[in-house]
Amino acid sequence: MTAGVRHNVSFETNNIVLIALVAILYSLFKMATVWRSQCAFARLFAGKTGQILNNATDLGTKLGPGSQSAILAKKYSNYAHSPFVTKIKEQYDYEIVKNPPEWGYVQRLLPFDTIPAVTPKDSYPSGWVPPKEEAKTLPFFLCRTRNHEIPIYLQITYRGIRKITKIKRIEGDIWLLNDEIKSYLKEKNNRYVETRVQEVGRFIEVKGDYVNQLVDWAHSKGF
Amino acid sequence: MTSALISAIRRLHIAVTPQIRVYSSNVAATTSAGSNSLSITKKEWAFQPQYTKPREVWIENLDTIEEQKLGLFELHPSVYAAPPRLDIINQNVVWQRKIRFVSWAHTKTRAEVRGGGKKPWPQKGTGRARHGSIRSPLWRGGGIAHGPRSGKSHFFMLPFHVRIHGLTTTLSSKLAQDDLHIVKDLELPTDEPEFLAELVEKRNWGPSVLIVDDTDYAPRNITAATDSLAHINIMPVYGLNVYSMLKHDTLVLTLSAAEKIEERLLHWLHADTRAQSREYKVNQV
Repeated sequence: MTAGVRHNVSFETNNIVLIALVAILYSLFKMATVWRSQCAFARLFAGKTGQILNNATDLGTKLGPGSQSAILAKKYSNYAHSPFVTKIKEQYDYEIVKNPPEWGYVQRLLPFDTIPAVTPKDSYPSGWVPPKEEAKTLPFFLCRTRNHEIPIYLQITYRGIRKITKIKRIEGDIWLLNDEIKSYLKEKNNRYVETRVQEVGRFIEVKGDYVNQLVDWAHSKGF
Repeated sequence: MTSALISAIRRLHIAVTPQIRVYSSNVAATTSAGSNSLSITKKEWAFQPQYTKPREVWIENLDTIEEQKLGLFELHPSVYAAPPRLDIINQNVVWQRKIRFVSWAHTKTRAEVRGGGKKPWPQKGTGRARHGSIRSPLWRGGGIAHGPRSGKSHFFMLPFHVRIHGLTTTLSSKLAQDDLHIVKDLELPTDEPEFLAELVEKRNWGPSVLIVDDTDYAPRNITAATDSLAHINIMPVYGLNVYSMLKHDTLVLTLSAAEKIEERLLHWLHADTRAQSREYKVNQV
């Protein structure tokens, strides 16, 4: 008998615990529904949860009296079909300032829109040489790249057997430039140097690794 | 005596040389009021041309059939005087054709052709070649081995700078061939298509004309006029592409469209494009 009573009691307590659990779960679910409907509109603006103002779960908004009906727990069959909350009033006061003095610090952190021009200096520790103005009077021209470098490159192919120096971005008389670099390289190396001129592509390919010599030549011309 | 001389000169009606006004494009654009005042625009770009001189083009009008030159305009040589790279143009055209092409050609394999489940004759003893199915690719009416399977996408992405240079080289080629015209605006006096057709005919713009404006809404008259002319099309500046430029004989840009194209292309020619040059991923935004 006693055992039976004890059994009964334990059954009842078990039952109560179960009911309590169900109630808590249900209330949690209800809260979730309410929370979603409260914040859905604000989340449209805020986007990520990382941008929540003051770590507030309501995203800095409070519902007005007109939208209290949305608070009432109502189960929607679908997240997408639940209505958005209307009549939201801002909880925090703020004003919009255009171009405050602090904006300069923000601007400093923003990435460059385009690659900036080089600030003129007497000498550059990297060994970079600025282009000279008198180069523009020559019948040919070597235009600097967007990164202010001379467009002379080494192309290594066939596992290092073939080395070709490519001079790109040539403007003006490309054949005259070809003659000049040919005679320059011949004088410098005491040997004939083969070149190939692409008139439409505006580049010259020199057979062999002459990058440093040609860059020196370009610097001497002021490109 | 002198007054008589002056009045005599006045009576001669000597054509006065056009008043030429020079102003920077930074200044708000002024419209030339009379037919004898030309506006010459000297432009200040964010990236000045280094060696090649800026290209000069006439600003034309669209409100009369006869061409009137309203002014001179400068175009940046990096955008409008690029070398005519036919290979880059071709790559762009091929890309534009392929990017949206899905091949729906379809053949059935030996498994999909009806029948053929039974071995047609025994393996040995008949004197005939051994066969396991009458739908084998060797058979007439059999399946196709390695045939086309439908829904084959030909999508690929051209490198970013090939796309940019495709635009510059096509614009430059059009300008070099006198197939690029700059007009002040797209205001037409009527909405009749005959007017526009006659204008194109008279100015020898070739049958097909592509008109590009800065905005994506055009004045009513030109939209109504081009509506029934299949070979004269309007396009906003963000829709400009190599294929359409080549498809139409003449490219007509408004002044603002030419400047906008120039500004955007110059930006990409001088910007850090590592993000744009990265390999294209389907899931990227």
